[in-house]
Amino acid sequence: MDCKTAQALMPLYFDGELDRATSREFEAHLDECGDCRAALIELDALRRTLREDAPRYKAPDTLRSRIQKHASLPATSVPMRRTPSRWLTLAASWVLAFVAGGAVMTTWHHASNTSFAESQVTRDLFASHWRALAATSPIDVVSTDQHTVKPWFAGKIAIAPVVQDFSDQGYALIGGRIDYVGSERVPVLVYRHGKHLIDVFVLTQSIAPTLDKPIQSQGYVLEMVSLGGQPAAIVSDMGMAELERFGDLLATSR
Amino acid sequence: MSPATNQAFVDDLALRHLDAAYNLGRWLLGNEQDAADAVHDAYLRAARASDTYAGGNARAWWLAIVRNCCLARLAIRNKEKRNVPIDKNPDAAEHWMPRTDADDVEDRVDSAKRQQLITQHLQNLPENFREVLILREIEELSYREIADVLQTPIGTVMSRLARGRALLQKALAENVNMQAPYGL
Repeated sequence: MDCKTAQALMPLYFDGELDRATSREFEAHLDECGDCRAALIELDALRRTLREDAPRYKAPDTLRSRIQKHASLPATSVPMRRTPSRWLTLAASWVLAFVAGGAVMTTWHHASNTSFAESQVTRDLFASHWRALAATSPIDVVSTDQHTVKPWFAGKIAIAPVVQDFSDQGYALIGGRIDYVGSERVPVLVYRHGKHLIDVFVLTQSIAPTLDKPIQSQGYVLEMVSLGGQPAAIVSDMGMAELERFGDLLATSR
Repeated sequence: MSPATNQAFVDDLALRHLDAAYNLGRWLLGNEQDAADAVHDAYLRAARASDTYAGGNARAWWLAIVRNCCLARLAIRNKEKRNVPIDKNPDAAEHWMPRTDADDVEDRVDSAKRQQLITQHLQNLPENFREVLILREIEELSYREIADVLQTPIGTVMSRLARGRALLQKALAENVNMQAPYGL
């Protein structure tokens, strides 16, 4: 690596945004270049000055209590309680109708309710994958190293996912991010296979959809696998054979 | 999400990242009252617009709203011309200098001086550079998160960060040179 490249990469390295392989090349250059070392030390000195001497203003208590007060109010106002009597007769007739209808519908209703919740989850999973593809970078922690990706999730999220790199098998770990599925924060492991980007969403048992076979949507495929005992959803535009191979790899990871 | 979970989500988010929001507002607006009001505006706006949250990094979404509220206040302020923007008036920056506990304690005068110095230099930086420095160095956001807050490409974040750091380094270096004979 020459000085010019190193200068360009220096902020990325300093801010922890450089991938591991390039970081190593950069460090090799540092070993032999005093100017670049000095520049890096200056960056660090500036950061230290800012962290130590620039005040991080704490929110005043008045502001906090203002928001807390608002937050403790019920989310939706409850005017319904006021007018029961006028509605009572109508409501009673509706209840009758529901009870009669409900008896017939119970079995079907239960089934469709579950599948509705599941279709919401699968839609979230596809949407999250597409959003990640459309964004400038699909990952929050850029690293090809499982020992960097796994600890990154710690403290950010309740699930500790199994993270393993499969670059030898052609499925390279490139990083991770956190995303929402339904209202839960879940870890997403990002892999690359050739030109395909693969998202692996590690889900909790309660929100994981049960799928007999992969679901397809607009050329993308979603498949459920088990990752270290946790349900996980793979979303990608890979072919079925490649997907199956990757699913097998994940299933064997520890 | 239902309205109830939406509000719970925004409440939690706002309270958890209240210091970050206030700190950003304080640095952008330059005084306590405006910063607190802007953050409160942002909270109300976030609660109303919680269904526009499309997933992704929630802290960045929240700080983006805070920033927009601050910029709206800055725009009004500039229009009214009652206050000169701090960027263009170093004297004003001095005037707005926060009084910290350290100011009153004699044996911490040095630390207070350094704080004053760095605060002044930061406030003198154009807003564009100041905010990326605050978000990166003090709030420790990633490039991606800063890009989400600023609603700009990551490339812009990187170039502003580099330029902001260079400007601040230069300003500090000049200051040290200037004061060196007096033994700083």
